[in-house]
Amino acid sequence: MDIFVDSLHSAILLVFALDREMLAIVMVSLQVSCVSTILAGLVGVPTGFFIALRRFPGKAMLITVLNTSLALPTVVIGLFVYAFISRRGVFGPLDLLYTQKAIVIGQVILIIPLVSALTIAAISRIDERYRRTAMTLGANRMQTAWVILFEARFGITAAIVAAFGRVISEIGISMMLGGNIKGFTRTMTTAMALEYDKGAFSLAVALGIVLMTLSFAMNILFHFFQGKYRT
Amino acid sequence: MKVYSIHKLNKSCNGRSILDIDHLELEAGRIYGLLGPNGAGKTTLLNILGFLDQPTSGRLEFLGKAVRFQEKELLPLRKEIVVLDQYPVLFTTSVYKNLEFGLKLRKVAKAERERLIDEVLDLVDMASFKHAPAYNLSGGETQRIALARALALSPKVFLCDEPTASVDVENQAVIVALLKQINENKNITIVFTTHDRLLAAGLAHHTLVLNEGRFVSTSYENTFSCRIEPKEDKQIWCRISEDRGIFLSSPKVESPALKSRLFIDSQKIDLHTGQTMPGVTNCLPGKVVQLMEESGRIRVVVMVGFLLTVILTREKYDSLRPAIGDTVVVSIPQDAVTLSN
Repeated sequence: MDIFVDSLHSAILLVFALDREMLAIVMVSLQVSCVSTILAGLVGVPTGFFIALRRFPGKAMLITVLNTSLALPTVVIGLFVYAFISRRGVFGPLDLLYTQKAIVIGQVILIIPLVSALTIAAISRIDERYRRTAMTLGANRMQTAWVILFEARFGITAAIVAAFGRVISEIGISMMLGGNIKGFTRTMTTAMALEYDKGAFSLAVALGIVLMTLSFAMNILFHFFQGKYRT
Repeated sequence: MKVYSIHKLNKSCNGRSILDIDHLELEAGRIYGLLGPNGAGKTTLLNILGFLDQPTSGRLEFLGKAVRFQEKELLPLRKEIVVLDQYPVLFTTSVYKNLEFGLKLRKVAKAERERLIDEVLDLVDMASFKHAPAYNLSGGETQRIALARALALSPKVFLCDEPTASVDVENQAVIVALLKQINENKNITIVFTTHDRLLAAGLAHHTLVLNEGRFVSTSYENTFSCRIEPKEDKQIWCRISEDRGIFLSSPKVESPALKSRLFIDSQKIDLHTGQTMPGVTNCLPGKVVQLMEESGRIRVVVMVGFLLTVILTREKYDSLRPAIGDTVVVSIPQDAVTLSN
């Protein structure tokens, strides 16, 4: 118990002192997670939108596959991407392994199904009358799609927030593809694991506090905007 | 000038015909009331007329030109028409942006948009809501803003699905007055669906009755669920309420089901003043509860244990002069009754 109290005390001091090493790790984490989330959003939202609104053979099967891939372990993705970007892999010459780009690739693969599946759910919940209303007011297909997207904005934002939460807290991909290189690919989660291995809990707990605060802040922000439009 | 011409139009869903119209023409500048029970095909027809749904077969002409149900061709046609849903939705933004939506799509200049929005908000008496969030409005206010959003586009045709069904009495009167006003002032053709014959009679120039996807010349009123009980002398008793029903001779019924649907032609029912008519079958005493003039005829609603509508000619009405609350007797001849399963 003493270890925990002491660590917590030191961690709080580190956070308030804005420790340089801690900030560098947080910045790497934020940078990688933001890029991954943006890329996954750019692919996942249109994919989910298309699947939700279009009728095509195998649609139910595709949604099942997407839902199943939500449970994909990060180490499996790490292993899979490693096979492609390691020296002997197809993309070996690009020298991507143990870079932030490698982490981004893995994280994008991890959260595209999440963003798509949650977008499908958000779009499917939109009342059919919005589509009909847009059409009868003279909207073409693109404009109607935009109306539906606008009405589903909170559900889609929730999908993005959830995806960000998933990548910022994952460790398997960051460790396997990033290599936990200090100041370069060391993220909050890989740093926490390393500090734990060293038996030095202060930085680990401090990073834990930052991680939880970030997630909390994201959700507070989301609920604030959502609350503005609640009837 | 004809706005719509329909020839042998059919709409089927899962192999079942839900709309089957042989011929229909709607004139410009008129108000049409589309009456019919639930599932009669009213909304389906409205959606086809609004180019939001396409028929399975048949021909639809709009302003003299055949409509080809292809997205590219439908887009300019949709800009001439607005369909107002029974329960309209407003986009979750401001009232102003809702009204601006269709105008922007039509590339109306900013100053003109502003003028039109002010004009229609004044018309629906909602000017103070111009910048209010649309998602906080009541049902009646939503209906009025939806109406304003449609009117801002100055459509040639305005299709309303039960425009007063989801609002209170005060808003009903406002909406009816608005529809009349825009028809008279802007010469907009209006087609609306309703269950309310009173609304149809008060608002529409022409009333059309749909039943099971087809236009029928008679009213859809006087349709009842009944329980059939065999009686002596090859007769059956069609029980409509606890102690009221109609005797029919068995040949009238080919294969009587335990429960059936019974339709009584309101024009074939006879009305008599007084208490009873001895010796006549299917004579039901009741009280007059409603009187209404409709296209030169008089609609009398009599409470005989259930509400029964009787259509009287002007001459018959003048000879009887029934008043609200009078005790009368209705006699229902066998040929006025149709049974269906």
